[in-house]
Amino acid sequence: MDVFFQILASGLTLGAVYAISTVGLALVFGAMNMLNMSHGALMALGGYMAWFTMTGLGLPPVAGMLVAVLVCAGVGVMIYLLIAGPMLHSEGFETRVFIATIGFGAMLESVILMAFGPQPKPQPLAVQGGLSVAEVHLPVQNLLILVLAMMLMAALALLLQKSRIGRAIRATAQNRDAARLMGVRVGMVYALVLAISGGLAAVSGITVSSLSSLLPNMGGDPMLKAFIICVVAGLGRVPGSVIAALFIGLFEAVVQYTVGVRFSFASLLLLVIVVLIWKPQGVFGRHQGVRL
Amino acid sequence: MSDDLVISDLAAGYGHQSVLHDLTLRAEAGRLTAIIGPNGHGKTTLLRAISGLIAARTGEIRLGAERISGLPAEAVVARGIVHVPQGDLLFPDMTVLENLRMGAFLPAAARQERTVLEEVYTLLPKLRDRENQIARTLSGGERRMVGIGRGLMASGRVLMLDEPSLGLAPIVIEQIYEVIAGLRRAGRSILLVEENAMRAAAIADQVHLLDHGTLAWSGTGAELSGRPELLETYLGV
Repeated sequence: MDVFFQILASGLTLGAVYAISTVGLALVFGAMNMLNMSHGALMALGGYMAWFTMTGLGLPPVAGMLVAVLVCAGVGVMIYLLIAGPMLHSEGFETRVFIATIGFGAMLESVILMAFGPQPKPQPLAVQGGLSVAEVHLPVQNLLILVLAMMLMAALALLLQKSRIGRAIRATAQNRDAARLMGVRVGMVYALVLAISGGLAAVSGITVSSLSSLLPNMGGDPMLKAFIICVVAGLGRVPGSVIAALFIGLFEAVVQYTVGVRFSFASLLLLVIVVLIWKPQGVFGRHQGVRL
Repeated sequence: MSDDLVISDLAAGYGHQSVLHDLTLRAEAGRLTAIIGPNGHGKTTLLRAISGLIAARTGEIRLGAERISGLPAEAVVARGIVHVPQGDLLFPDMTVLENLRMGAFLPAAARQERTVLEEVYTLLPKLRDRENQIARTLSGGERRMVGIGRGLMASGRVLMLDEPSLGLAPIVIEQIYEVIAGLRRAGRSILLVEENAMRAAAIADQVHLLDHGTLAWSGTGAELSGRPELLETYLGV
């Protein structure tokens, strides 16, 4: 029974970490059919910004989080203005923006490498200590991540469902031409969605690095997993990707405990193959035509 | 006069393909103007050019004194030209009410959202019953009504309807046209694209016939009814 709760706890933490990075990707894909391949580099940037603000400038953790989120949101807007925006109406937008963001991500990672060096650094935005309930040991950091993820998801859901700008985002995602006919400035929506996604990437980068350490290429692995979760959930399905992220976190924890850590990624990929055979559009996905 | 929609020497198209050329016509304020013509001769393209979904290549579109051509779609609707597109283009995962509220997205329309929503529900009572249903699950006729209702929510000066009867059962078409007739009696400016020339003739104050992307004939609805040879030449009926 203790083992069960231990697996449940670590699986949910893993899932919560995945959810934060996945939702950013899903939001951007859902709104503008764009796979942002620089998401991983944005995560690293967020982690390093928090480190720089706290260790370099000696500011408190709240400032570290805030600076990281704002910088990454700003870079998100920059991605829209310099990369996605200019090619938005061109033929083959999906492919072009996919390749262009790979390039941008590589540049961003190189800048981080030049600025901060290749040695791993500890993420200062982490809480030590643990909580023992019965025989189950829970690091406080994991609990914090879980709470933080839930709060972020709730805030995002509230924004999308209840606010005027949230309705504009959903309208643009569901039918771009119709949204324009309603008076929605889709350029603003796209810039905003990339900003939100950038901010989420920053939080995600901080949580990932707080569980391991900071490295310029630290975003690669979580981004790959985020894509896997997106595909399993159905590309662009925002609520579905949260559920899929939690499920895959649990799945990974179970596999790691029962079969072994070295099989966890392989079995994850196996799961993707099965899902794609069973439901090519993803578990929560619906068939949709190519939009652009 | 001040709210007439005036199109002069308009050319527009997609990519390398030119659809409209040298098109000049006028839709008078407070009247129902119908655009008829064979399929693929530019009726929908005209509405898309007016609403700014595609750019006018040459020529000019004016609403009253203001130049509309060259503005992006979101700016055109802000000037009061509301386009109810062909095939509804609803927001499929939103409820009927959310779709209607999107129609009043711009601040000016949002301020009178409640009042206009009541008017729309009075005109299209079925929408009130379907308020919380997801748009994707509606029938074709209901979707069309949501499309029209969403257009009305914008409280615009000109309402452009693109083939509101397309793909509907005859009895549903009757219902839709009763709604349009009601809007006409209320004195709204309507630009109606309709494939069925006789239906257009029966309801329109003014009819423009488009052929090969340019104006082939203009007249009143009654005049069109008296010219069967026109319909035979251009529409093959």
